[in-house]
Amino acid sequence: MEQDNESQIQVKLVTQQRKYAVSDSAILVPANLRRYGLSEIVNHLLGYEKPIPFDFLIDGEFLRTSLSEYLQNAGLSTENIVTLEYVESMLPPSSLSAYQHDDWVSSVRGHEQGYFLTGSYDNNARIWNPSGECLQTFVGHDAPIKSVAWVSIQEEDVICLTASQDRTIRAWHSSISDKQYDVLYECRGHKGSVESISINAQEALFSSGSWDSSIRIWTTTATPNDEDGSDYEFIENAEKRRKIRKKKATSIIVKKPISILTGHVGPVSSVFFDTKDPAKLYSGGWDYSIRTWDIESRTNVDTKNCDQVVYDIAYSEKSGLIASGHADRAVRLWDSRAEDVAVVKLSLVSHQNWVSAVSWSESSPFMLTSASYDSCVKIWDIRSKTPLYTLRASDSNSNNHNRKKESGKKLLCIDWSKDLILSGGEDNRLHIHGAKKIEGPYTKENL
Amino acid sequence: MARRKIISVTKKRKATGSESPNQKKNTVELAKDINKRNNTQKEGLITSKTSDEEEEEEPQSSDNSERILNLGEDLDVGNDSDYIAGDSLEDSQIEEIDDDEVSDISENERNLGEKKEEQEEKDREPPNTVGNIPMEWYDDYPHIGYDMDGKKIMKPAKGDELDKFLDKMEDPDYWLSVKDDLTQQNVKLTDEELDIIRRIQMQEIPDANYNPYEPMVEWFTSKPEVMPLSAAPEPKRRFVPSKWEAKRIMKIVRAIREGRIIPGNTQVQKPRFYNLWADSDQSRQDHPMHIPAPKMKLPDHDESYNPPAEYLPNEKEKEEWEQMDPEDREKNYLPQKYSSLRAVPAYGRFIHERFNRCLDLYLAPRLRRNKLNIDPESLIPKLPNPKDLQPFPTRLAFSYIGHTGRIRCFSIDPLGLWLVSGSDDQTIRVWEITTGRCVYTWTVDDIVHSIAWCPNKDVCGFIVAFSNKVAFISPFKLCDEEMYLFTNQYVTAGFNQSQKDDKKKNVHWVQPTEQEKESGYLVILNHSHSKTVKQVTWHRKGDYFATLAPDAGNQGILIHQLTKHQTQQPFRKIKGIVQRVMFHPIKPLFFVATQRFIRVYNLIKQEAMKTLQSGVKWISSLDVHPMGDNIIIGSYDKRLCWFDLDLSSRPYKILRYHSMAIRSVSYHKRFPLFASCSDDGSIQIFHGMVYNDLLQNPLIVPVKILKGGHNIVDSLGVLHCEFHPTQPWIISSGADHQINLWT
Repeated sequence: MEQDNESQIQVKLVTQQRKYAVSDSAILVPANLRRYGLSEIVNHLLGYEKPIPFDFLIDGEFLRTSLSEYLQNAGLSTENIVTLEYVESMLPPSSLSAYQHDDWVSSVRGHEQGYFLTGSYDNNARIWNPSGECLQTFVGHDAPIKSVAWVSIQEEDVICLTASQDRTIRAWHSSISDKQYDVLYECRGHKGSVESISINAQEALFSSGSWDSSIRIWTTTATPNDEDGSDYEFIENAEKRRKIRKKKATSIIVKKPISILTGHVGPVSSVFFDTKDPAKLYSGGWDYSIRTWDIESRTNVDTKNCDQVVYDIAYSEKSGLIASGHADRAVRLWDSRAEDVAVVKLSLVSHQNWVSAVSWSESSPFMLTSASYDSCVKIWDIRSKTPLYTLRASDSNSNNHNRKKESGKKLLCIDWSKDLILSGGEDNRLHIHGAKKIEGPYTKENL
Repeated sequence: MARRKIISVTKKRKATGSESPNQKKNTVELAKDINKRNNTQKEGLITSKTSDEEEEEEPQSSDNSERILNLGEDLDVGNDSDYIAGDSLEDSQIEEIDDDEVSDISENERNLGEKKEEQEEKDREPPNTVGNIPMEWYDDYPHIGYDMDGKKIMKPAKGDELDKFLDKMEDPDYWLSVKDDLTQQNVKLTDEELDIIRRIQMQEIPDANYNPYEPMVEWFTSKPEVMPLSAAPEPKRRFVPSKWEAKRIMKIVRAIREGRIIPGNTQVQKPRFYNLWADSDQSRQDHPMHIPAPKMKLPDHDESYNPPAEYLPNEKEKEEWEQMDPEDREKNYLPQKYSSLRAVPAYGRFIHERFNRCLDLYLAPRLRRNKLNIDPESLIPKLPNPKDLQPFPTRLAFSYIGHTGRIRCFSIDPLGLWLVSGSDDQTIRVWEITTGRCVYTWTVDDIVHSIAWCPNKDVCGFIVAFSNKVAFISPFKLCDEEMYLFTNQYVTAGFNQSQKDDKKKNVHWVQPTEQEKESGYLVILNHSHSKTVKQVTWHRKGDYFATLAPDAGNQGILIHQLTKHQTQQPFRKIKGIVQRVMFHPIKPLFFVATQRFIRVYNLIKQEAMKTLQSGVKWISSLDVHPMGDNIIIGSYDKRLCWFDLDLSSRPYKILRYHSMAIRSVSYHKRFPLFASCSDDGSIQIFHGMVYNDLLQNPLIVPVKILKGGHNIVDSLGVLHCEFHPTQPWIISSGADHQINLWT
């Protein structure tokens, strides 16, 4: 291990993953080693025949240069013992499949049971199973669907929500086995396109954010919370309305919001319920603010301001951070617990265009993924400022010519559901990437 | 005594050799001296007359010599004292030298002395003692004076005229005789005396023996002698500052102190006469502003009569040279070789070249260019850094693709969610701004020239101008039912009121057909003229709107009221070709931009308020600042002018940044930004801060050039640009069939 002309550094290898633990005594390693070399050492110490790739962290940041360069940049002495934490590397995601839609895919949500719910600009929402079959197509909206959400899947019964540009939210009920579906209720009240919906942890309430700059809270129960007697003036003008709308759902239960949260001064682009606290709601809007709401008191608890339009927010209960996607190509991270401190914790800039959607990994407090108008999906580990992986939607099966054509296709939505990264956009396809930590043969090409 | 005389003569000789300037004076006095001498010689003369002995001839001659010596002494009388006083130093030297000569003379003298004494015995006849008086005093007396003993000397017998005549006739020497006043006798002049007279007459030196050109003896020279005449040491006086000089200087110093002399004021008196042409042959000094004549080219090697072989052209080169146009030739001659200078012929181009040289000399530009010694940095106005002026659009986000023709116009809804665009492909499209999704498409029957979303937030719809029609279209899918109903009510309510007499009307408000109604048309305005409506613009409240058809003459500008379906013709007569019209965002003012002027009208008072002189040749576009006190115009001659309405009728700032015609200018409604787009394919973003303080002028800073989003098609670039109403984004449309969003 000794080399000429090279200084050596004492390192202490530690890990939080018990199964990979090695002795915590300091060992001497050449200073010019990079991640790969260190990974080899760890594998050697563990005595694995099949090497497992590891990533190394110093002071909570990924080591992306050689050890000596890192120490030089940080201004640290090479005499001291360096503590290296190592974690198993995430393997590059593999493109699994792409489901063709009739129009742009505007929204996607995956479910634990493996089903995918997509909303599309052809006004329809679809349920897919993992094998790529379209199980259900919900037809009924008059305008493109902007957001979808699962309410529950109980055996065969599926309840889901779709929000549309036609200012309504619909709850659909169907069974997976047959193609029958019915509309549970329709939520009316928004005066602008409903951009985002989110269901709280108890699945009793959901919120919707709209371009009319209001956030409305609704119950998920199928019974109308209000007497239908005041079922809106458009019933009175039903004749005129008929001219506008060919399809008139007379039998649909119409719901009213249980509360309206106003505070945003521009369109609300995204709402997200705290996954732990059922009364806590985060929202992002065009007024450059990320607000925290208390549902019960209907108050705006906290406002975090930046200087860019917020397109999408996502909250991770594991890290307690809010990630937001912005028009200035950045993904920003905010500490949801730090109240009154409107400081961006971290700004991740790598995308070439607007960041249209962000989603946290359910398993890791550090991993998140973002989709952008530059047709790239990026996977981030927030311990590093550079993205771990960049996925091009068109990578999988298209030649160069097509790729050029599709490189301008915007991605509109993303969801990290268990091991899968689902993304959809202008290219009318739902892309599914596997992001599992797969134990496989470790080759240099993979990295 | 004689000896003394001789010495003095020798002295004299030496002296006259060095002091020739005395000669003249001496000769002048000569005549008088001759008389004196005659006196002294009187005895001799008498004796010579009385005694005719031959012996006496000799002493006579010797006497002559003495006379001459005497004469010399007399001549020297005036100078002698000077001589001795001036040169007393050298006395010893003179005597030393004299001694040689004296020794020679002394022998002669001894002989002479003896004879003289004998003669003195004879001549001891008392001479006339009257002295040197005018002798006519004795004219009336028988005597002419007194002798030594006081006895009268009687007048000699005076012959009568006959005797005189006889004397004249008989005496051959008569003409040589002179009457002596003192003795009243005729004295015959000797040869020497005659010679002297002749010399005087000839203006020569009287003394025949005197040589004026004797070599000069340098007695006193600057050369230090090995054996100096005086070995005296340098006197102390020579080393001591002169007391008298010091006194004199003190005198001047005192005079300066008292102001009697002003130093430095020494006026050099110009000579009265001077040589006018003294310096005419010298070259004049260069004037500070002198510009030298262009220099002539020096002859080249190949102009030699016998140039080296490499300079000689070969046949091909010769041919080329001859075929070239004389003006294109690099050199106006061909190098040629001659065997000898003799063989060189006359230069054929001589006159031509001289003529060209003359042209050069008098046509050469005589202009002195002063180099400005200014730091260029200091000329740039101090502007804030664009980075500090964010936000402003910096990069292309994405394009709205779908149109297949030039997109001349678009409009953004007041909330900033929807975009409606009209194109040369005769379609109108509505886009979702954030995603670039085309939501609506209408097809009309002509090029869409102008489109404007209704600024009333309760109304969902826009007006669009194509051919001579203007339509109000409501994209009902985008608004909720209440809004749609309100819009419908708002727009169509006028049909109930305004069906009076159709003939007078400029515009017919027409109900759209059922099919059109289905697609969203609410009302259509048919202009009675057939000219194209080029622009539609809203009043801020969304009730009134103005239409502009530049070719329609007096009916070109019309103001319509949407709710009442009424049309007014605000101007009976329109001056010039109107380019743009616009409502003031706050006040009841109306802007009309013709090719060169912008006129501001007050709609309530119905009068012209102001005329702004743009100074540009052809205005293309106009926008009014949301505060209303500033407007910007763009022109086809690449200029963008900012007017401050309170300041002046002339532009406050003229910006010339585009390389091609400006097509559109736009203010941001919320941010201090404005932009211009041009046929050069670029959009320029400026920071334009307007202060509430009236004293502070607007701050204009160019912050960004957005390039590369639009291709130039048929020399048309970006046709329209407009800011997003709420975000610092700009949307631009171009001739390349696309609309771009810049964020």
